[in-house]
Amino acid sequence: MKTGSSKGLALRSSIALFILIAAFLTCVGSLVRVALVHGEEYKLKAEKNQLLDTTISAERGTIYDSNMNVLAKSASAWLIYIVPSKIENDTQRDLVVEILSSTLSLDAESVREKTMRESNYIKIAGEVEEEQKDEIKKFISEHGKEKLSNIIGIDPDTKRYYPYSSFASSIIGFVNTDDEGTLGVELTYNGELTGVSGRIVTAKNARQKKMASEYETTYEAQQGANLVLTIDEVVQYYLEQSLDQAIIDTGCKYAYGIIMDVDTGAILAMTSKPDFDLNNPNVISNKLVADKISEILDEEEKKTETLNARFAQWRNRTVSDTYEPGSVFKTVVVSAALEENVVDLNTTYTCVGGIQVANNYQKCWRHGGHGTETLTQGLMNSCNPFFITIGQKLGKDKFFKYFEAFGFTEKTGIDVPAEANPVANVTYHALESMGISELSSSSFGQTFQVSPIQMVTAISAIANGGKLMTPYVVDSMLDSDGNVIKKTQPVVRRQVISEKTASTVADMMEAVVSKGTGKNAYVAGYHVAGKTGTSEKIGKEGAYIASFAGFAPANNPRIAILIAIDEPAGAHGGGVVAAPIAGQILEKVLTYLNVEPQYEDNEMANISSTAPALIGKTLQEARSMTAGYTLKIVGKGDKVIAQSPAADSQIRTGGVIVLYTEEQYEKQTAIVPDLTNMTMSQANSAAVNAGFNIRFSGTTNETEVMSYKQSLEANTEAELGSVITVYFRTTVNVQDA
Amino acid sequence: MANEAVRKPKGAQAKPKAQKKASKRPDWLAVGSFDLPFLILTLVILTIGLVMLFSASYTDAYYNRHGDSAFYFKRQLIFAVVGIATMLGVSKIKYDYFRIAAVFAMPITWVLLIIVLIIPPYFKDFHRWIYIGNFTFQPSEIAKLAIVMVCAWAFEKNRKKIIGKTENKSAFSKLVSDLSGGRIVVYDSFVQLVIYGGIIIITAGLIYLENHVSGTLLLLAIGVVMLFLGEFKKHWFIIIAVVAVVGIIFVITNPSILEKYAGARITAWLDKDYQPLGARWQTNNSLYAIGSGGLFGVGLGNSKQKHLYVSEPQNDFIFSIVCEELGFVGAVIIIALFALLVWRGVVIGIHAKDRFGALLSMGIVFQVGLQTALNIGVVTDTLPNTGISLPFFSYGGTSLLMLLGEMGMVLAVSRYSRLKKS
Repeated sequence: MKTGSSKGLALRSSIALFILIAAFLTCVGSLVRVALVHGEEYKLKAEKNQLLDTTISAERGTIYDSNMNVLAKSASAWLIYIVPSKIENDTQRDLVVEILSSTLSLDAESVREKTMRESNYIKIAGEVEEEQKDEIKKFISEHGKEKLSNIIGIDPDTKRYYPYSSFASSIIGFVNTDDEGTLGVELTYNGELTGVSGRIVTAKNARQKKMASEYETTYEAQQGANLVLTIDEVVQYYLEQSLDQAIIDTGCKYAYGIIMDVDTGAILAMTSKPDFDLNNPNVISNKLVADKISEILDEEEKKTETLNARFAQWRNRTVSDTYEPGSVFKTVVVSAALEENVVDLNTTYTCVGGIQVANNYQKCWRHGGHGTETLTQGLMNSCNPFFITIGQKLGKDKFFKYFEAFGFTEKTGIDVPAEANPVANVTYHALESMGISELSSSSFGQTFQVSPIQMVTAISAIANGGKLMTPYVVDSMLDSDGNVIKKTQPVVRRQVISEKTASTVADMMEAVVSKGTGKNAYVAGYHVAGKTGTSEKIGKEGAYIASFAGFAPANNPRIAILIAIDEPAGAHGGGVVAAPIAGQILEKVLTYLNVEPQYEDNEMANISSTAPALIGKTLQEARSMTAGYTLKIVGKGDKVIAQSPAADSQIRTGGVIVLYTEEQYEKQTAIVPDLTNMTMSQANSAAVNAGFNIRFSGTTNETEVMSYKQSLEANTEAELGSVITVYFRTTVNVQDA
Repeated sequence: MANEAVRKPKGAQAKPKAQKKASKRPDWLAVGSFDLPFLILTLVILTIGLVMLFSASYTDAYYNRHGDSAFYFKRQLIFAVVGIATMLGVSKIKYDYFRIAAVFAMPITWVLLIIVLIIPPYFKDFHRWIYIGNFTFQPSEIAKLAIVMVCAWAFEKNRKKIIGKTENKSAFSKLVSDLSGGRIVVYDSFVQLVIYGGIIIITAGLIYLENHVSGTLLLLAIGVVMLFLGEFKKHWFIIIAVVAVVGIIFVITNPSILEKYAGARITAWLDKDYQPLGARWQTNNSLYAIGSGGLFGVGLGNSKQKHLYVSEPQNDFIFSIVCEELGFVGAVIIIALFALLVWRGVVIGIHAKDRFGALLSMGIVFQVGLQTALNIGVVTDTLPNTGISLPFFSYGGTSLLMLLGEMGMVLAVSRYSRLKKS
């Protein structure tokens, strides 16, 4: 036998080797297919499996008022969910229902129902506080045997806090459960506030566990921007306080108001009452409405009514609603007429109590008419026939030109959501369809509608020398470190009327407040300019909107104001209902804004002087320094240790000053007298007799004024010498329509 | 016959020095130097295999062996060291003595294959392992070597009968011839085919009973290779090929005739979207790993798929991790190394001093080659997911030990090979 190989074996082994090499090449071919041809596809699939993508939620930005008070802020909270499919027995189910319903104050039956569902995820509650979460966690660990941790899940969540509750609610707005803004600037600036969520992409193993950090890539979250509003907490507070009171006093359905910086269009305050608690936006804040709804038996109807009530309280009526501006609009008409030289200050008109327009006889509100009046008097009297003739002289083209120029055919562009959209021939008369009747009625502010924000913007244009501004509520945006990212620049939309015309109209409007229908808005020293308005609501017999729009100080306007009282129960005239509210607010706001009062001579008599500083003086000295005041000395000492009112308090000459001369003194008190429904002198003597000082507010230069309100409540105890502010108003000649 | 071979002169290449030394040595000690390229190839593949085993296994070890990342590596390394010693030791043995082992190999294998069926299964319904304490081994591993040794021994001994045209003289054959009126003549070559084909089929059958389809197929494949190298008549192989193709087609179209798990694997191979039982989990993740590697790989140690995606990445699917970390290029180099190893083994065989040595050497390297090709076929989803490990790479101490022992046998053959020693 030949050793080792034979030719046969060599051949056979070569064939076998050849086949094996072919098999190896097939393997290489397979690798080409898998690694190279389909490589990318498989790689993507692998990565999809391997990557653990965790979202880092960006914290929603904070909302501040103009003084950096926090109006809205997000904080971390927790979300509780259950995995019903993991419930194995009734013991577990009972425990889950027990802990969740008790800790989260939920209905046990509804929780039980959720545990019965065939699902791997059912949210039980979001925005759960740390404390409650801990309670649930503790319960889970206490019942470790039941493995509740498989069933109850806890995820991070965020909760939005509104420290001021209902304050500026319609401007701020709130967020839904997904942390998305649904109203107010929360909605308008949702994108900026939200920021960009970041991601941590981590490699994970097949057991869904993170792998070492070297596999980790972090995309930082971009925190949401903080908003600084133009809203001033103090101004907003004054406005809201007065309108809340107005709802009580006038029995009106709604009350809304806007205060605007006339030079920039920045909104300092804006409210629409009644409003709601931002922390509980779904709760009906109006007790009457809430009670009514709770009495409804039909579930379906109850649901509908609840929803309606929610939308009603959420509605920002200053921006979303339209109303007939009534006589307030005469300021626009007179501006147009002066600008077009159709009239001048010497133009006179003789009102005979009515005027024939086409087939209608339009009566003046004053029976018998106003007689012959100048243009200024016409505005002061709010004389409709006069303004009908002005409108007719102006003609529909020019009328419409100014109607458009003052911005009534377009949105103002304010940065809060749901601004009413003016629609030709629906909310206002288009030029083509404007006949003599429409022109005439439009001339005194009837038969068309504008939104309060449009009206106050137009009034601001008159105040600031003719520039129509874009109103805004967000002053600036800050990044999370407080750096300004974006600052809102005031936008002048156009010059509507000349500065000269504007200043003429401002003077006329000041006359309206000082001597005309607007005198209840008078504030001594502040030269308030304004115009009252009363309009019957379209399609609602006997329902009125009483309004006042104006600005102050007339010679150097700072702020414009619009107050509208929607469906007051009793008196419904703008001059009676709205003007005093505007006056009260203006007085407080102008003082707060440090606007220096400039008193006219006739005002000087009524203004307060300041109490001298007497502490440390001998009685002798004190007496000599307080000539003309009523002194009341308490104690037997010979030096002043304390005084009431405090030094620099505003009191009238002839007021009461109480001096304490002993260390251990007891505060002298007295019962506050009722100072309402009095003339100025009656109120003054009543106050002094009771041992208090009085300060006059409102229109005081008329003999017919009556007090209607006082700062210290009657029949309560107060320290002797305290200053009681008494508000006066008149019911004479403030009628406007 | 064995003595005759031993007595044979060394031939032209044998060095006089070696002859002198040999005379002093014990009879069983081999003379001459072994084939260095084969040893180097073995060690290179083994080294790469160990490194890759460490890389592929440390995640599984970390997650499943209480954080001991080197758990598998340490064990494999011990067996590798022992294995190398074994290899060198075996290579020292004059391989004529393997003939003696060959005679006993088959009965011992069958006994082990029957024992493994009787004792309780090591894992689920799989009677593949014999276990003594922590030590386990698969009799089917021994069966593969036994078949190679038995065939090498028998086909050398019976070569004339196999390639010749002699009639079989047995009584049975005469009876068949007489009954058929002389029309059927039973040749010796046919008898040989029936005997050794039968041995192969019985062995394969026993392995099949272990619930080990891949082992069965591998054994059949090795058997066929041995028959082919044994120079049985060509037409038998055409018949075997036809039977194999028909069988494969039948099984593919009727996967349910196989055991549940094997059938499911074939279904999962045919239907790439097959979902139940996670049947494609391993294969899909293997493909994702290979795809992630691309041309040059993600770098040694950087596989992500080994983080529990490719289950037991240290076992049958280690090659997918190799592809992910070393890329297509690295994988092809490794395949080429295996090809070189087989080629070198075949060359050793061709130049072996006798037919036993030739068939032994070739049988062993073809077994390694076949196993490699089948493993890569599985990993690349070219073949259904069987359970074939990758030689030198996959984790398994006894199997590595056996493999290195087999390499030692090839080296032993190479000592008497008429190769030009480099």
